[in-house]
Amino acid sequence: MNQSEKINLSDFYNPNVLVNLGPSHPAMHGTLRVMCRINGETIEESKCEMGYLHRAIEKLGETKTYHQWMVYTDRLNYCSALNNNIAYAMTVEKLMDITITERCMWIRMICMELSRIIDHIICVAINALDMGALTVFWVLYRWREEAYTMIEAMCGMRLTTTYARIGGMSYDLPEGFEKMLEKFCDEFPRALEETEGLLSSNRIWIDRTKNIGRLSKEEAIRLSATGPVLRASGVDFDLRRDVPYYGYSDLNFDVVIGTHGDVYDRYLVRMEEMRQSVSLLRQCLKRLNKGPLWVDDKRVRIPEKMDVYTKMEVLIHHFKFFMDGIQVPEGECYNAVEGPNGELGFYIVSRGGPKAWRMRIKSPSFVHYQIMENTLKNEKIPDAVSILGSVNIIAGELDR
Amino acid sequence: MSKVEKLKTLFPDLKIETDKANGPIVWIDNCKNLFSVLEKLKHEKEFLLNYLTDLTAYDNVDHHDGDKRFVLVYQLFSMETKTRVRFKILANADDHDQNKIITLVNHYPAANWMEREVYDMYGIIFYGHPDLRRILMDERFVGHPLRKEYDIKDRQPFPDNMKINLERRSVPLS
Repeated sequence: MNQSEKINLSDFYNPNVLVNLGPSHPAMHGTLRVMCRINGETIEESKCEMGYLHRAIEKLGETKTYHQWMVYTDRLNYCSALNNNIAYAMTVEKLMDITITERCMWIRMICMELSRIIDHIICVAINALDMGALTVFWVLYRWREEAYTMIEAMCGMRLTTTYARIGGMSYDLPEGFEKMLEKFCDEFPRALEETEGLLSSNRIWIDRTKNIGRLSKEEAIRLSATGPVLRASGVDFDLRRDVPYYGYSDLNFDVVIGTHGDVYDRYLVRMEEMRQSVSLLRQCLKRLNKGPLWVDDKRVRIPEKMDVYTKMEVLIHHFKFFMDGIQVPEGECYNAVEGPNGELGFYIVSRGGPKAWRMRIKSPSFVHYQIMENTLKNEKIPDAVSILGSVNIIAGELDR
Repeated sequence: MSKVEKLKTLFPDLKIETDKANGPIVWIDNCKNLFSVLEKLKHEKEFLLNYLTDLTAYDNVDHHDGDKRFVLVYQLFSMETKTRVRFKILANADDHDQNKIITLVNHYPAANWMEREVYDMYGIIFYGHPDLRRILMDERFVGHPLRKEYDIKDRQPFPDNMKINLERRSVPLS
């Protein structure tokens, strides 16, 4: 072997090894790509890439009518489609100055809390699954199925619900729904206890999550973190309490905050938020009254199917409603709700007519992915996976 | 005193409107003024705007809101006072001199990707941005998709064997 072919030991200490995580990697949740420059196992520099799931949803918002676009909101954060439906409907209602009925409001709040539970279940279960804790996945996903069964009973769909309508809901709650939900509220917390028993004091879980992906309070605010990620960093802020919408100001719930802003705290925050959501579901159920579901407003009220089939004027109205779309007055509005992942906002600029001029979706995943790029520095490669799971980036919402 | 009135007394020469939800909209003529207004409102005890919720833009091709092509929208929020204020600047894709659009990254690091998205979607250049390149679309993509003249059916398929042109920019991790 001559001198030039001889392998030099220093070659093995090359600090410039590039590792490409994703876009098709089981732990990259679909279509995310993280490019890392590693030294040993430590990530020295990272760049995140996105756009693999870009479907021009904002552009579609400008070319579809307000009513047609409802289905696209399902495809944002597909883990909590109900929440997106309602947040969007709320924004258009604000633009049109519509106040929904009380029954509709409580149904919507039930939907939002239910979808928050589903989203947190997915986040915690997948986070644990990525780190090899498969049992948690089985324990929690059973309850996700139960929740989806309820949602299926509500609107006939499981994932892409399209349940909300501008001014109301597509269907009223099914018979026996209250019983189903009560049963869920009674039994689901046991799964949370079981999960906590499996994880919270598990040596392996703690080693893999404590002090990983730390985000300080100041950094969290500077980088516009929202939702559980923000609260895990110790910022006491929740849109439901601080900028209350719907009936949240009448309900009792605690805003859960962490202290360290690491993966472990995010997990704890999500676990406790699920408990709070169960309590909120119970409170909403108590207040749920028998009343009209739809707002009495000709501009948005979708005619009853029976009347469409039997009355000429209603048929014409129905036709005009779906062919022309809802006429939204000129103006603009930003409306945000506390989605499972954080502040989900819709910013609509209307120039009058049935289509939006600008449909902006302020998605929490977008800012969280940016934060992830910053927190990956000096972490290990396997920790990158746990950080990604803990900030719960949903590609549908990220790329829009 | 409402927030809108308070803003009007603080900045008598700025145009201040309200939106459908009674949120204040402050029109600002250039970025230098934006920074001074933001700095002032960061410490004004009734506002304390310290959180950038969103940064986006919309096409003003019909000149509804002014004589320039785009409107930049900055959504700011305060966790202490729970106030939302929206700032708007009229902008062309590549303004010069005092109308130059300057990046907000030095004030709010979260603006980094949001400005990249605005650049990607509308082609507005943010001066001083550390890494202004496309974020959602492919590097090979031609045009800016959220401009009104870009048709939604105008697709640009990229075969994998096409060479990526990074426009003389260094490859991110070189």
